[in-house]
Amino acid sequence: MLLERGPFAGSKNMYGGVVYPRILDQFHPNWWEEVPIQRWITRRSTMVLTATQAMTVDFRTQAWGEPPYNGATAYRPDFDHWLAGKAEADGAVLVTSTTALGLLRDEAGRIAGVRTDRPDGDIHADVVIACDGVNSFLAKEADLFGPGQTEAGNYTVGVKETIALPKDVIDERFGVRDREGVDIEILGGTGGVNGGGFLYTNLDTLAVGVVLKLPALGAQPRRPEEIIADLKAHAAIAPLVEGGTIVEYSAHLIPEAGRSMMPRLTTDGMLVAGDAAAMCLAAGIWLEGVNFAMASGIYAGEAAADALRAGDTSAAGLAGYERRLGDTFVLRDHEKLRRAPGLVLSDRVQHHYPQMIANVVERVFRVENPRPKPGFRRIVREERKRAGIGLRDLARDAWAGIRSFG
Amino acid sequence: MSTDVRAATSTIGVCWKWVDVEGDPRRAGVSAADQAALETAFSIAASLDAGTDSSTEITVVALGPVAAEQALRGALAAGAHRAIRIDASAHLPSDRVAAALADALDRVDLVVCGDYSADRGSGSVPAFLAAELDAAQALGLIQISVDGRVTAEGAPVVRALRRLDGGRREQLTVTPPAVLSVEGSVATLRRASLPAELLAKQAAIAVLPGPSAAEQHADTIRPFRPRPRVVPAPVGAGALDRIRALTEAGATVSHGETVTLDPPEAAARILAALREWGYLEP
Repeated sequence: MLLERGPFAGSKNMYGGVVYPRILDQFHPNWWEEVPIQRWITRRSTMVLTATQAMTVDFRTQAWGEPPYNGATAYRPDFDHWLAGKAEADGAVLVTSTTALGLLRDEAGRIAGVRTDRPDGDIHADVVIACDGVNSFLAKEADLFGPGQTEAGNYTVGVKETIALPKDVIDERFGVRDREGVDIEILGGTGGVNGGGFLYTNLDTLAVGVVLKLPALGAQPRRPEEIIADLKAHAAIAPLVEGGTIVEYSAHLIPEAGRSMMPRLTTDGMLVAGDAAAMCLAAGIWLEGVNFAMASGIYAGEAAADALRAGDTSAAGLAGYERRLGDTFVLRDHEKLRRAPGLVLSDRVQHHYPQMIANVVERVFRVENPRPKPGFRRIVREERKRAGIGLRDLARDAWAGIRSFG
Repeated sequence: MSTDVRAATSTIGVCWKWVDVEGDPRRAGVSAADQAALETAFSIAASLDAGTDSSTEITVVALGPVAAEQALRGALAAGAHRAIRIDASAHLPSDRVAAALADALDRVDLVVCGDYSADRGSGSVPAFLAAELDAAQALGLIQISVDGRVTAEGAPVVRALRRLDGGRREQLTVTPPAVLSVEGSVATLRRASLPAELLAKQAAIAVLPGPSAAEQHADTIRPFRPRPRVVPAPVGAGALDRIRALTEAGATVSHGETVTLDPPEAAARILAALREWGYLEP
């Protein structure tokens, strides 16, 4: 049985990002022929913003615009509805407008189902798979989080505006055609709050927003919509969004700290998956989540089925879940990049390096004849000092970067 | 004619207008008024059945494509006994919708409808339906109750409160067969229990054929235009007089008249006035 809080699967989901659906290859070959996406990402840009500068590394490949594709922008009410339809076709019973309020336990205290908000709403189950999102009440009730794992510092809030523009205008502004799309990830542009910005192209809308570290957001007076307004007014962003109409505004917590904030994933009678298990990968250049959610859901389902067949739904009987996660990208990527979120959200990466990089580039390409061009090393040295970055800090961060991403 | 003898069983029909406004079945459904109609039917049934062995049966009927069955399953989950889908376009004119509903609602004592749908919201189907069923009508109701009296045939008599303009209210005693339409604020549809929700997923929904394709497309929808009126040539010695006569400028114009008549005579007077003003065929 598949419980959905909203009136249809995906109706309550807030999301602004890129879906990487290759995990579906094994279940639905040629899934790309029917999946309801907006645009296939063929341009990936990483932008560094300061108040008046922007430096962009822009990559384009047509290979991502043809089968088996790579990533896509999608409206989650469409995408999740489609996925739920697949689950129903395979035998799942989807019950909508129903919220799991808490856990049921048997006489021995073992998890034995969930209590829902419907009259006579207790569901007795041998295995509960908690996919109840970033604020997983079920995982918390099961006491699966360790000390400090749900601290505010482990979360960001993603805030997004959806801006309507005609498709041909988007195509022209972003240099794409047909179903090709652009993903712009932004370092800076958050008004001094640790986090980042983003801009994604949908078919006839843009998703523009910021991701803001909770304690940093709370420590300053401005509201997220004001920060987005400034981002949209930046000289590098304004020409891309101007003339559009805001058709949606939304916000959502993001579990940003990766492996270090993941709860225990298995207990007697219960597995935790997706955002509930903090499986969002926020590692700077890699920003993924839906693929981890889909994969962990798949592996949880497989492990639960194995445990039911074996007649053992204890934590030991459900161990196949973590084994599958550990054998695949789900935990391997998180293990490999476990230091990345801390580095990416650190003050130097957030504030000092963007300014230094932008200043270096500005000076490298500034022509001040009759003065000769300054040496590159000299520019870097001077701008490093101006940004207040010591050599030791630089070396430490370089080493952290190598360890995180290497 | 009312007696104090309670009927063994009654049947209440509930008519829903399934609407797919955005062309997206995920967001399709029925209006809050339609949901209130079903809850009102539950409430009437509970009053009728209180302290008796009888069970008032509630049948929900909707006209629409297969996608409308999801809404009907919601009605069954909430407690309706039977659901009927009339297989037809949800965009038929109100008179044809009413005719199809009347065919499906054979031998019901009361029919409860919402007083507006989620799309056009003209509230005209209940009136057409009352005409089709040759039943009394009480529309735009904000309160409904039963007082225990029943007709000679055993159907329950209903007391209703109707909203009028200017904050006024009209109290009605409605003798079945009758069509009632309620505002959305009257009641909130109860939440279905989980077992009922699961059972409703497998429940059979009766499907009746709707009007034929030719009937469904017999009318062309067009903007309303009043009929032209024959205006006699103005009389006057000079051009200015004739313009004054034509435009009635400077004349004291009487706006309407107040008449006090019995309902049949009042209806006849309204029809006569509409003919006189050119809104109906002479």
